Amino acid sequence: MIKYKKDTENIVTLTLDMGQRHENVVNHQMYQYFKPVLTHLQKEKAKGTLKGIILTSGKKNFLEGGELEYLHTSIDPKEIYKHSLSLNKFFRALEHPGVPVVAAINGSALGTGFEFALACHHRIVVDDSKIRLGHPEVTVGLMPGNGGITRLLWLLGLEKAYTVLTNGKKYRPQEALKVGIIDSIAPNQKSMMEQAKQWLLSNNEGRRPWDRVDGKIPGGTGNDPKVAQVIQKLAAQLSRETYNNYPAPQAILNTLVEGSKVDFDTATTIESRYFTELALRPETRNMINTFWYDYNAIKKGINRPKGFGKFRAKQVGVIGAGRMGSGITFNCIKKGLKVVLKDVSKPIAELGKQYAKDNLVALVAQGTISAEEQTTLYNNITTSAKPEDFENCDLVIEAVYENEMVKAKALKDAEQHIDEYAIFATNTLSIPITKLAEAAYRPENYVGLHFFYPVEKVPLVEIVRGKKTSDETIARAFDFVRTMGKIPIVVKDDWGFYVARVQNTYILEGITLLQEGYPPALIENLGLQAGMPKGALAFADDLSLKMVLKYENQAAAHYGSQYVPHPAVATLKRMVEDLDRTGKFKQAGFYEYTQEGKYLWQKLGQYFPITQADYLHENIKERMLFAQVIEAIWCMQEKVISSVPEANLGSIYGWGFPAFTGGVFQYVNSYGLNNFIEKCEQFKKNYGPRFRVPRILKQMKKEGKIFA
Amino acid sequence: MTEVFIYDTLRTPFGKGNRDSALFEVRPIDLLSKCLKALQKRNQLDTKAVADLIIGCVIPTDGQADNIAKTALLHANWSSSIPGIQINRFQTSGLAAVGLAAAKIKAGWENLAVAGGIESMSRIHRKNNRGAISSDPDIMNKIGSIPSGVAADLIATMENFSKEQLDNYAFKSIQKAITAHQKNYFSKSVIPIYDQNKIPILVQDETINTAITLEEITEQTPIFPKSQRFGFDAIALRKYPLIEQITPLHSEKNIAQPADNAALVLVGNAEQSKILGLKARAKIVAVKTISTELTITHKGGIEAAKKTLAAAKLKPKDIDLWYINESFAAPALLFQKTFKIADKRLNPCGGNIAFGDALGANGAILLGMLIDELERQQLKRGLIALSAEGGIGKSMIIEIV
Repeated sequence: MIKYKKDTENIVTLTLDMGQRHENVVNHQMYQYFKPVLTHLQKEKAKGTLKGIILTSGKKNFLEGGELEYLHTSIDPKEIYKHSLSLNKFFRALEHPGVPVVAAINGSALGTGFEFALACHHRIVVDDSKIRLGHPEVTVGLMPGNGGITRLLWLLGLEKAYTVLTNGKKYRPQEALKVGIIDSIAPNQKSMMEQAKQWLLSNNEGRRPWDRVDGKIPGGTGNDPKVAQVIQKLAAQLSRETYNNYPAPQAILNTLVEGSKVDFDTATTIESRYFTELALRPETRNMINTFWYDYNAIKKGINRPKGFGKFRAKQVGVIGAGRMGSGITFNCIKKGLKVVLKDVSKPIAELGKQYAKDNLVALVAQGTISAEEQTTLYNNITTSAKPEDFENCDLVIEAVYENEMVKAKALKDAEQHIDEYAIFATNTLSIPITKLAEAAYRPENYVGLHFFYPVEKVPLVEIVRGKKTSDETIARAFDFVRTMGKIPIVVKDDWGFYVARVQNTYILEGITLLQEGYPPALIENLGLQAGMPKGALAFADDLSLKMVLKYENQAAAHYGSQYVPHPAVATLKRMVEDLDRTGKFKQAGFYEYTQEGKYLWQKLGQYFPITQADYLHENIKERMLFAQVIEAIWCMQEKVISSVPEANLGSIYGWGFPAFTGGVFQYVNSYGLNNFIEKCEQFKKNYGPRFRVPRILKQMKKEGKIFA
Repeated sequence: MTEVFIYDTLRTPFGKGNRDSALFEVRPIDLLSKCLKALQKRNQLDTKAVADLIIGCVIPTDGQADNIAKTALLHANWSSSIPGIQINRFQTSGLAAVGLAAAKIKAGWENLAVAGGIESMSRIHRKNNRGAISSDPDIMNKIGSIPSGVAADLIATMENFSKEQLDNYAFKSIQKAITAHQKNYFSKSVIPIYDQNKIPILVQDETINTAITLEEITEQTPIFPKSQRFGFDAIALRKYPLIEQITPLHSEKNIAQPADNAALVLVGNAEQSKILGLKARAKIVAVKTISTELTITHKGGIEAAKKTLAAAKLKPKDIDLWYINESFAAPALLFQKTFKIADKRLNPCGGNIAFGDALGANGAILLGMLIDELERQQLKRGLIALSAEGGIGKSMIIEIV
């Protein structure tokens, strides 16, 4: 488990190697294993035969945090707190005896694993761009809780520590050095060990800044007037970004501020208390459920057809150098794929190449990639105006104008030049795949890949299965999306697929509220407070009111005589047909667009007078969320989507359903199925049949099930 | 029932609350002690008769810390029998001190007390206050506390006030102050500040910008432009979601700037005035301290005034003159609108936009101005109302006797 080696210069190397596992995992039991080693080291120190310690790993990674599974099931605050304290104690024992310890980091160190590294006096990392370092805990609603926050506070100062702890970023070695969470980088393993030894031989200081009499937090404590102003600003920014829906970044800020005003050990106690509170919050549970368990389920292929070997695309063809095509191109080359980017002329295709270049330059600037990598990646793009150049592509993605004829032509042009194993994918948002596939020679190889704008930022892709799309094509599309580093969800070829269809219900509910006589500002503000990224009316404008209406018309066509008209349709028609206000594109929708920004259209009140007197905020917020959740359940019932993890992650990444809820289905779990059904019935009575309870939900109630 | 009378009020001249202030060289303790000495002298006061000194101070740190009331009593050589207390009820503190003294007298526990406030903002900056309400991120976000400037813009937005209205209000306030100054309306209360050699340091208010034009006011840009708001708007809209966005309207020139000042009020019952030969100038009719919703903060004065009027069984039209604190133009305009007050009856000698705001002293200063002006205009009844942080409001009705 821990290999002990002492050299002639009294330097001890401890190599972590957790026998059975693939990875070294740190958790609250670690202290037990380390106790005898520490005792022995203390004896050596007393004898004066210990110069320093090098801590390194015998595995591919350095250390991973391993507490999530434990935390997700524990319910006793006393126990969580006790475990946090015991890890604290261990880290203190490691850094406190006055013998310098170097962390020689030869693999990823994340979460609690990085806290371990922070508890060492010096951190050296091998320069390997696969290595990831830092504290991504906030992305699952958590925070470091074993002194990690307090140590970063002392190493970076309050403001910088706050950024590193709340951006959820996993840093590459070069980035980590730049941001200041590691001390140096070594070109390779051997050099790292030499550097570590050199550092120990030239440094006798075994005390961390917080254990020194003259130690100071860089920039000052929360009692410093300048820092106090920064805190005020950070608190306000946080409030704007989270609407107080996310307890983790708030707890991190609180820990930093309170911790800055007391001594180190008191600060870590405060940290442990906040950590314990956070671990038991429902938001954290929801986020662990979705961003850890659901995410892993998709990664493992819950939705990938079985029995097909892994598809490794090497060269990708992209048709169309517009914003989607350019984004897809950039994303592909970033992941090491070769791209043939085609448009009607080479100069136009070059525009897409330029887009990739600009983004690569930005990556170099922030230290994500090196200048050499930039050149290599950039050279992976070939621009072209001829479909013949797709000859060696394993997959061609068409991202041209949203028009059936144009898409059919692009398909025909390209398909004759690619081999029978290659996939042809279309990036459409509203045209049925099955219909588009009619123009294909090989409809079984034809699939929808619905990327979202901006491609390189949104981590979700809808794989749309046409009627004739083969399982093998789906499996390959899945593997390709994974290669792009994205989360694939497989959806049925119905109107709007999954994302656009459910998103539309949020918009429609907002418009219904307007029609019912609620003030537009209230609708928008409560949407944001509920956790949505935009107000419903702003969403409508961005998408265009015509598109909102188009989706609803497609729903009407789909359900035929079963269709119950949505109350929002009348308002939509009025806006589009009578008032000619179709949205942002036309610079006129629910909003007015000016140079200084957008404002709600002042005449809205004239056409949709405010008649409501009571504003039940919670009720309105729930209406807007319930509308989406119920539609997602219909999607499940109609097999538009087939698994809970896809529905949850799809809702968060696809249209911005609030992450703290854990996604549409976790929302029901968290709300309580019976409470949810009861509320639906109440809403149905008050607001209409669109809130009726779908059959599968009733079935689940009968069987006492939850969404899992 | 015992009645409470006001025998005297005085204050120092207003100094600019920054390093350019003539009073920057004067210790806070000196400002307050000089007031005590002046009060003693002009009333021929046997200080042993004074039961207590209650002093409001909003930034009680550094030179204003450690119970500045007691320290000032010692420094001014007042009787050692007086305990002294420093209180902080934010911007209402000066009036709160008078209210507290009045309550003790009304209860019959004491006969004579001095109350007032001190704030040397040139020496002790607001930033020195780092209480949880304004600097603990947990508390701030939980309760929704925002800077008072954003709250003032919120009121302006909710009330649909234009920048022009706010600027006009500010300009009028300054014009009133200029006139009052030229006609020497403050001479009764203002005590000049001298050094230890009897060389004058500041003899009259230095804060009134006599040369200002309306154009100068209107061309000012907002103090809280959108770029400076971080997330305070979002915090405000969480409580007031009917507002789409807050329009930045307040500028440096239509709000009160920090100021230096100390002020005292001598209060007591009828019995004591007879013994000491003091002449009562006014009587306290009713006092109320309340609190409203925190985020919007500047509405406390309005609610307090309503409650005080009700307690005195009076209507707004029964009030001859009104004095309110003018931290920002919009809340003052809203106050005026709520009670439908004519310009000449509200802050008739100008307000804090003209003079500056010496937080802890302000309540006692405005009370003095109100009494002086009622006497000068030979009117009877006045109301003073103050809004403060935390949504706190305080109001008092007095009558000239």
